[in-house]
Amino acid sequence: MAYEYEQEEEKFIPMQKGSRAFGRLIKDIFSMRRESGLLIGAVLTTAIAGTLYPLSLAFAINSVIAGNFKDLYIYAAIFLLLYVVQFFSNRERTISSTILAQSVIRSLRERAFENLQYVPVTFFGKVKTGYLISRITNDGETLSEFLTFQLPQVVSGIATVIVSISIMFYYDFSLTLYALIVIPALMGFTLSLQGKVRRNYLRTRRAIAAITGNLSENINAIRTIKSFNVEKNMEGRFDSLNTTNFSANMKASLLSSLYGSSIRVIEAVGIAIVLIAGGFQLKAGLANVGILVAFVVYVQEFFEPVVQLSQLYNSYQSSMVGVARIYGIIDFPRQSSTEKATLPAGFNDHIELRGVSFSYGEDDALRNINIKIRKGEKIGIVGHTGAGKTTLSNLIMKYYSPTEGEILLDGQSLNNISTGDYRKLIAPVLQEPFMYKGSIYDNVLFSNPSATREQIDDLVKRFSLGEVFRNLPDGLKTNIGEMGRNLSEGQRQAISILRAFIRDPEILILDEPTSQIDPHSEKLIIDSLSDFLKGKTLILITHRFSMVALVDRIIVLNEGNVVEEGKFNDLLSSDGMFHHLYSIQYGNPDGP
Amino acid sequence: MADLSGDSKGVRKVFSVFLPLAFGLRYLMDRKWILAIVIIASVISTLFRLLVPIFIGDAVTSIQKLQYSDVEYYSLLIFAVSSISGLVQFVVNYGSQYISQAYAYNLRRDVFSHLVRKKFSFFEEQTSGDLLSRSTMDIEASRNFILNTASQLIPTLFLIIFAFVFLFTISPYFAGIFSVAVPVLIYIGIVFQRKQRTHWRRIRTYYGQMNEQLQENIVGNRVVRGFSAEEQEMAKFSSTTGSYYDEYIIVAKLRGRYNNLMPLVVSAAATGTLLYGGYTDIIGASVVGPLVAAVNIFSLISFPVSFLGRLIVFSENARAGISRIQTVLDREKDEDLEFGDQVRVRGNLEFDHINFRRENFEILKDISFEVKAGEFVGLTGRTAAGKSTLMNLIPRFYDPDSGTITIGGTDVSKVSLAMLRNSVAFVPQEINLISGTIRENIAFGSSKGELDTIKWAARIARISDFIEALPDSYETMVGERGITLSGGQRQRVAIARALLTKPEILILDDATSSVDPETELEIFREIHENLSGTTVITVTHRESALRFSDRVFSLNDGILSEEAPAEKVPMAPDEFHAGEKEADN
Repeated sequence: MAYEYEQEEEKFIPMQKGSRAFGRLIKDIFSMRRESGLLIGAVLTTAIAGTLYPLSLAFAINSVIAGNFKDLYIYAAIFLLLYVVQFFSNRERTISSTILAQSVIRSLRERAFENLQYVPVTFFGKVKTGYLISRITNDGETLSEFLTFQLPQVVSGIATVIVSISIMFYYDFSLTLYALIVIPALMGFTLSLQGKVRRNYLRTRRAIAAITGNLSENINAIRTIKSFNVEKNMEGRFDSLNTTNFSANMKASLLSSLYGSSIRVIEAVGIAIVLIAGGFQLKAGLANVGILVAFVVYVQEFFEPVVQLSQLYNSYQSSMVGVARIYGIIDFPRQSSTEKATLPAGFNDHIELRGVSFSYGEDDALRNINIKIRKGEKIGIVGHTGAGKTTLSNLIMKYYSPTEGEILLDGQSLNNISTGDYRKLIAPVLQEPFMYKGSIYDNVLFSNPSATREQIDDLVKRFSLGEVFRNLPDGLKTNIGEMGRNLSEGQRQAISILRAFIRDPEILILDEPTSQIDPHSEKLIIDSLSDFLKGKTLILITHRFSMVALVDRIIVLNEGNVVEEGKFNDLLSSDGMFHHLYSIQYGNPDGP
Repeated sequence: MADLSGDSKGVRKVFSVFLPLAFGLRYLMDRKWILAIVIIASVISTLFRLLVPIFIGDAVTSIQKLQYSDVEYYSLLIFAVSSISGLVQFVVNYGSQYISQAYAYNLRRDVFSHLVRKKFSFFEEQTSGDLLSRSTMDIEASRNFILNTASQLIPTLFLIIFAFVFLFTISPYFAGIFSVAVPVLIYIGIVFQRKQRTHWRRIRTYYGQMNEQLQENIVGNRVVRGFSAEEQEMAKFSSTTGSYYDEYIIVAKLRGRYNNLMPLVVSAAATGTLLYGGYTDIIGASVVGPLVAAVNIFSLISFPVSFLGRLIVFSENARAGISRIQTVLDREKDEDLEFGDQVRVRGNLEFDHINFRRENFEILKDISFEVKAGEFVGLTGRTAAGKSTLMNLIPRFYDPDSGTITIGGTDVSKVSLAMLRNSVAFVPQEINLISGTIRENIAFGSSKGELDTIKWAARIARISDFIEALPDSYETMVGERGITLSGGQRQRVAIARALLTKPEILILDDATSSVDPETELEIFREIHENLSGTTVITVTHRESALRFSDRVFSLNDGILSEEAPAEKVPMAPDEFHAGEKEADN
């Protein structure tokens, strides 16, 4: 029940099966030829050296029994030499496995990040930020342990088992058979637990993702939480997720701990069988003491990888779930029009919305909108809250594509025009000004890195924005906290305006650009705007009228429909919706 | 003396591996007995595990002596001790998982409760992405160390001690060889630990930065797209993942060298034992059993010892993580919600000579004014004049540098924050919805979440028509940050939420900026009618929004003045009724 959101998200971002994801991961790994070659070489060397050392021990002990000093020295030297070889091969293994693991993780993260820049904007309305971050950072991290330690360990374990069984068969066929009696039991036992282990792991991944999501939400909503004095309620919500996570983990670990212990018992059976069988063979003169000792060590040796295999399985499960979640982001289809759109954008004559309808899912937010905007024309879009004004600007920004109809630039459908090129023509001032951590200069330059600070200073002067920033200790050099939390809404809006204007764009889309700025400063901005707008196309969205003097034509939206269109004076004198809206704001007594 | 201090420094270095454990114990106090059981179990498990090589040695001896019946006896013994060791190992594994999960559970709880109690100023310094990584991955890093300490480090230490004792019983010389190896191991460990410390700190910091950039990019995705800054953003992210990668590789190179030196030292000791033991056995023509046992003991500890290096890695990672978690656990920026008088404040609101400065800039200068209970007051003024700051002082999101604020004669600094904020509802400019239904979002400020009251609040906030038109009505889910709702709708949900608590003082900090003027007016009218005893302060630039105010204050450059009432004289409620009836008809 607690995972409703998680299941919804998994449905929204399809996830490959673990094994499929694993195959893809391996392909990614092998694409780094040099490192993967080195790693395999190192792992095999370690495994072979590791399997040969019980043999050299066996010969050393036999030579002690035989009283042969020279052989003892030789085999002891080989014994040490094998360890020295392992030192070097392990060193190589450590380094190349980290390089592989970290390169793969880095590339996954960068690819996921890249794709996030191109997925449809609607994506962000469906997925929680915290979960998304968790996929790219936490889930990536689960791979680190798996790729750096577990995977090489398994390859080495398998190599060890193969080499040691061959050696055992070579030296004593029947004793080897005795030693291998326990293997089927071991395999059957391991396989029988698989499904359960996987389910357990999926549960723990979901539980921790829920915690991350909840934390992220709380951190972002902290002001709201404090304003409404609900710290305790929020703690209660968090507690229940925390408890779910705890019990999910304990359940998963019960199984893997039981497994680990059972393996040890099976191992003990194996050793006992070898010793008893070996004893009988010795009696019959078929084996020697040294080989018997070596066999005991071999049995222990190949149980070591098996014990680790159980840990590996946990790690495999959690990293495959993790990697599948990252691949989910990497594979998420990009905004369809971004992919195939290649035509360069040129704006010479007009933009046209032809029969445009749009729906967020339920009702139409916009219905059959037909608007033609000539180059250089300035239009205003007004209407009540929820009339579809911002949706309209989102469509023109190409954040969304219309569900019906199309938008044309000089007669060419936006779907065919390169999004990047198109957006270079436009600069928006959006309703929710977004700020980065950094100075105000940095935040403005973000939209046009080639601009200079002097240009920004000029703009500030031109639009008399100096006043707005007057309370900042270091002026525009002031560092603003994340989301510009140290600033007032009006200041953030001013930055947002500067950010758009510094691009000197052909088309300006202003969505309630001055709603938070005081009337005095607003007037100063408006005064300078008409000059700035010369030759530019303006789309102004507002439900306030302080700026409508700037526009040539007004379009009135109501419940997704265009209900009125015309010049300011004409609309005002007719007794329509515009007149009504205007009266409320300016307190015309013959209003509602 | 100099030597002694050097020694104690060395000892301290060795024990610094356990520092994260010392931190962890604070969260395990109520589970001490489980920790004790795990430690006892790991003693038993390692002890029995080490008996295996001893019995193997005995078995070999009896084979050599041709006493085959003894072989069966020893085989059974080996089976018995291995099984016991395996079963007890279950207690160690499960117990250490339990301890580590209990630790993480308690720590997360603690972190969360500190986090929601931090002052506003804390969140201005920290970024949410980084805070998120502190409260997730950094906790996980320390949990991993606690887990491995309980399941690996403690057993390995016992293993080393018992190995020494067992070797000593076999031959003091074997033990002698072993005791040369131990200080070498410790030395390697210390050097390794020291060399990687700074790198782990950087790794954890870059990780936080990665979170931070993701957070910014995701939240600001429209802006990034709007300005075609995708490639710029990718380059920025890539430079962080690059730095993270580089640090990891440095650590890997260190680990490659030092970590693998450890088993090499053990096997050098094993070779020494083999040579010395073999030599003496040949000279003395004695049985090889004890020698086999001794070499087997070495091979048994070789793997756990190689794991020690990884534990040092975990420990450093955990230490770096814990020091980042400490930032959150530090009480300095915490608010105590319960401290103070448990009274609901009501009455006249009075500011008395309030001063507030931020980074040496005077934001509020000697402000004194009074708002009568039940009054409807407007606050206006230039952008960044300090209006929000002034309002933030009432529910004490910030405290003034000097001066007092009283409500009904009670100094707000004497009242517990929980009670104060219960009486004062503050609707901020920036609205975050929690993920859940609209109903949950409206109810979240109040324990009385009955649907009737919620509908009442929604009606006053002029959002009920919209909600009731939705297919699932009040049970409609709203996404994180309320993305499917428009700015104005979100603001109205927030107002409804504030009304539900039936506050004594309602502060609307430009809380209707995205609501159209007509609706805004209706909301004010409804509030005026339905919450007549509530003091309302609205902060706004807009003339239209001031029309309701009994009085209007203006704040400019930190100085407050009372203005003549707005152009439109506030209308009496019955006048509105008349107007409304006309409109309805």
